[in-house]
Amino acid sequence: MLRYILKRLLIAVPLIFGVLTLTFFIIRLAPGDPAAFFIQPGISPNVAEQIRQQYGLNDPLPVQYVKWLGNVLHGDFGRSFSRAQQPVVEVIAEALPVTMTIAILTLIANFVFGIIIGVISAVRQNSFLDRFLTVTALFFYSMPEFWFALMMIILFALKWPLFPVSGLNEVGAESYGAFGFVMDRIWHLALPVTVLSINGSAGIARYVRGSMLEVIRQDYIRTARAKGLSERVVIMKHALRNALLPVVTLMGSSLPFIFSGALFIEVIFAFPGMGRVTVEAIFARDYPLIIADTFVSGIMIVFGNLLADVLYAVVDPRIKL
Amino acid sequence: MTMKTNKRVARLLSISLLAAATFLTACSKHGGKGGSLSGAARDTTLVIGMLGDADYLNPVIGASLTSSEITGLIYPGLLQGEFDTKTGLVNYLALEKRLRPSSGNPDERSPKSALAKTWTMSIDHRSITYILRSDAKWADGQPITSRDFKFAYKLYGNPVIASPRQQSLAELVGADKGQVDFDKAIETPDDTTLVFHFYKPVPEHLALAHTSLTPLPEHLWKNVKPEEFRESKLNQQPVGAGPYRLAEWNKQQTLTLSSSATSNLPKPGNIRRIIYRVIPDYTVRLAQLQTGDVDVVENVKPEDFPAVQKANPNVDLKTIGLRVYDYVGWQNIDGDYYNQTGKMRPHPLFGDASVRRALTLAIDRQSIIDGYLGQYGVLAKTDISPSLKWAYDDSIKPYGYDQAQAVRLLEQAGWLPGPDGIRQKNGKRFSFVLCTNAGNARRNYACTIIQQNLREIGIECKIEQQETNVFFQNLQERKLGAWMAGWAIGLEIDPLDVWGSDLKKSRFNFPGYINPRIDQLCELAKSKMKTEDARPYWVEYQKILHEEQPITFLYWIRETHGFNKRIQGAKLNISGAFYNIDDWTLRPSVTH
Repeated sequence: MLRYILKRLLIAVPLIFGVLTLTFFIIRLAPGDPAAFFIQPGISPNVAEQIRQQYGLNDPLPVQYVKWLGNVLHGDFGRSFSRAQQPVVEVIAEALPVTMTIAILTLIANFVFGIIIGVISAVRQNSFLDRFLTVTALFFYSMPEFWFALMMIILFALKWPLFPVSGLNEVGAESYGAFGFVMDRIWHLALPVTVLSINGSAGIARYVRGSMLEVIRQDYIRTARAKGLSERVVIMKHALRNALLPVVTLMGSSLPFIFSGALFIEVIFAFPGMGRVTVEAIFARDYPLIIADTFVSGIMIVFGNLLADVLYAVVDPRIKL
Repeated sequence: MTMKTNKRVARLLSISLLAAATFLTACSKHGGKGGSLSGAARDTTLVIGMLGDADYLNPVIGASLTSSEITGLIYPGLLQGEFDTKTGLVNYLALEKRLRPSSGNPDERSPKSALAKTWTMSIDHRSITYILRSDAKWADGQPITSRDFKFAYKLYGNPVIASPRQQSLAELVGADKGQVDFDKAIETPDDTTLVFHFYKPVPEHLALAHTSLTPLPEHLWKNVKPEEFRESKLNQQPVGAGPYRLAEWNKQQTLTLSSSATSNLPKPGNIRRIIYRVIPDYTVRLAQLQTGDVDVVENVKPEDFPAVQKANPNVDLKTIGLRVYDYVGWQNIDGDYYNQTGKMRPHPLFGDASVRRALTLAIDRQSIIDGYLGQYGVLAKTDISPSLKWAYDDSIKPYGYDQAQAVRLLEQAGWLPGPDGIRQKNGKRFSFVLCTNAGNARRNYACTIIQQNLREIGIECKIEQQETNVFFQNLQERKLGAWMAGWAIGLEIDPLDVWGSDLKKSRFNFPGYINPRIDQLCELAKSKMKTEDARPYWVEYQKILHEEQPITFLYWIRETHGFNKRIQGAKLNISGAFYNIDDWTLRPSVTH
């Protein structure tokens, strides 16, 4: 297994490198100019040129690439164009924990609620409860997240002001003490995590239901029932464990999805996370930051896929890596 | 047995419900209308919602509007600028001198924020001498001297630093030869005397505007290398002398200013703390204005006014003057031909002024205003704003919505109805693509009406939305035949960049409009030593633009900002929403 993981990680290196190289050229060939902001009446025409010179954009493309390559190999992703020359690594280091918090909370909520709902629907197949849950799940699954988020804000922050509209913490939250600060943070995360996980758990519930229905019809379940085991043990121990096999692999592959979902959520709820960094970097044609963002999401995808494969081997002894 | 499962599920559900409930009760104590800060803190704290974070809190390189606004509160100014709403002229004030006498402008303030006591313009208009006050100090206690200005101007002019304000140095000695000679251009005979020399005579108002860039404290910045200027940590810890100083800056979240107790330029700000909160999404900014979490939100859209005021009667909407307009641009010259050969010939569709007039007549501009902007839109005639009263020509009658006249003009120009209902001339159909930047609801609305209006007189107009960067690049490269965009005008009229005939120099003449008389008028107006004396030139300028319609001017937009009513003393005008923010006060909340 360790060998397998190492091998996969080694393969990932040229893969991510290729993605970065591709991104490097694509963003530079795309229309738009990082210095465009400085092209406006009243600003000397020299400014845009001087800014490009500072950013090193006046060199021929191959020269730029070689310089960039040298820097990246030294672990230097450069300085952001649009964020006041802040080192890109610093920008990411500030933004990543925010997004990770949201992603992990969402992942947990997704699976907890998804599995509960899925099991109920499967056990009570075709009952009113099942139909109700299925329709509700589909309803939320097909709803655009950004719209859903705005609706939640209107309902739970404006009509019934139970939750804050935006931000990571209240203004002046530092004075609440450590416990108060954490509670305040959780309070701010409640709406966005709900939005993200309602959508995700609806999908997972469908998976669990399908897989559960298949397992329940298996012979060994009948055997278990015939042995006189309680229904609870049959469902929870014999059926659910087997039904979760395909679901577990979802965990790894849904990581990048949650990341991209966090994109909208962060803009709407004004969280300074990776999603917002990426969107703003793209609009500002902030090349170094775009590349660093690609790097992070590339790693996420590779890692997520690896996790899915490894988890599969862990939960299913028939699979050997 | 199913009973058991049910029980377990029920127990699970009830536990999670219970958890949620405790959660809610634990948190709801923070909630409720009126913001989250507790009484006393709220009464001394103003919260401003903003679209994006400031970039550099440094007057030399700060580029965004937010940065300039915040820098303006932290740093001192040589002069105090003032927009006179009665005349539309910009006035400059020193402690003991003013460019123009008072016109009874209601927004007037005493010029206590100015570092200059007075100034004298030389008779030949080639130099200006300032006498600075001697009691001005940086926030760290060091005196502000004339050397701080000279030091800062060298930074403004350094190409490595690439200051967006370097245009202000364009008249200094040496600038005509490509390199400002700072030792000759700026003299500092003593701590309180500052002299600027120009290579040509400069009108007084322009000299004042261009020599009053913000100084930097030399003693802190002198060891920072130009190459490292933008990266310097000092940009995160600005030392100024204005009414506020930086207290805390959580990048991309909040920026807090606190009133500077030692400031005498003009005085410590009334409100103790100002918090700028980054809230990128417009809907959410608006929601926070409604809940009272945020006190000020700029640029509230007219369509949201009723809902905002209904949701929170404590929100006031304040408008500033007319500074921003939308237009439909027509490519006057054949862009592709110009790009290939560098030569000019009229655009096959829009090259003829009478056709452009017909297009303006055919567009029902008033119904765009009525349908979208309501009372917050004003029909535009040219790019001279009605707010600039000294130059604005009231006698021009705007083109009405007159399709019959439009058809007559088109037929005179040879555009006759074709077999498919679209007008034709020499086999060419009158069909074009109208481009605009994606994500602007107002422009979308206007585009749709224009499309329909033109369809009615036999012109085919397809709408295309482009991502903003792409759109702007296409515009610069003259790849668009027709487009919808907008301009925000400056307070000093200087339209040569937008209408000048030398297309290489006039980078913003996107329509490629060529009229040497316009160049002449702009030069003549600039050469007047007193701004007001240029009025006849601007009147002629407006007549020409109105007649030739290089673009179809649509409407001026009355920019509107949302204010919580607890803010008192806020005066807004075209020069900005926050220009007297240090005078604002907060009405104390009622204590129960």
